[in-house]
Amino acid sequence: MSQRNPTVSPSPSPAWQTLDEFTLPNELDSERLALLKVTEAVRDLRLPAAHLERLKTAVAEATLNAIEHGNRLRPDLPVLIRVQVSEKALRVCVTDQGKNGPFPKPEAPNLEAKLSGQQALRGWGFFLIEKMIDSLRVTGDKAQYTIELFLYLEGGNDDQKNF
Amino acid sequence: MTKKIFEAAVRYQSGAATLDLCGELTGLADDMLNVAYTTAESQNPEVIFLNFAEVDYINSTGIAVIIGLLARARHASRTLIAYELRPFYAQLFDLAGLSEYMPILTQETDSSVPA
Repeated sequence: MSQRNPTVSPSPSPAWQTLDEFTLPNELDSERLALLKVTEAVRDLRLPAAHLERLKTAVAEATLNAIEHGNRLRPDLPVLIRVQVSEKALRVCVTDQGKNGPFPKPEAPNLEAKLSGQQALRGWGFFLIEKMIDSLRVTGDKAQYTIELFLYLEGGNDDQKNF
Repeated sequence: MTKKIFEAAVRYQSGAATLDLCGELTGLADDMLNVAYTTAESQNPEVIFLNFAEVDYINSTGIAVIIGLLARARHASRTLIAYELRPFYAQLFDLAGLSEYMPILTQETDSSVPA
């Protein structure tokens, strides 16, 4: 299903080296497998522990989002994950097969509203993703939806994120 | 990958109950954790402690489960206190604003936490 640390990048951009690319079954706990495989893929980069924790959480939440909202829990639709690195950044692309068009940015979570029943208890995933990584990009068409997570290898937002 | 099962055990102290949590805290733990919380409530404790010492993974759906417990505690005028969270998850709880509603302690540094 995956190869670890291939030396030749199939990426369209020569600046990006693909570390791993794999598909996951569309099951609720596949996000754990995703973060384990991404952790293994970036092992040789020796990321600082705080960076790695942030990356793992962002990947897990993006994968969960793909499983639940993109693929709508359909077992026949896989989630594709690609891990790439350049000189300056790490990029993880999480792609689902949800033919739902552009993903609307969810309502910002409001804890008081959740506690008082005015807002659903859930809805933290995108919030956490945004807080964990340095930047993100979402792309989609009628066939697929991809969220790209970027973690800068130098000069990221660690101070601002307080992680 | 071995699937870890979430578990929650209940024990009581004077005026308080403790839920010892173990495993992965995700949305899949919702039913089990709420059943354990209901058991803890049965003795009408003023305080319910959540012991996260054996919790090795929490995701956004797990945070939502905890918020559900917090809403139940607030409705019943109970205090919910978390302790022994891994530092990264303590930061996530803080980021989500949970620490404003639920003290997050370390067992080693707070004598109010039951042994």
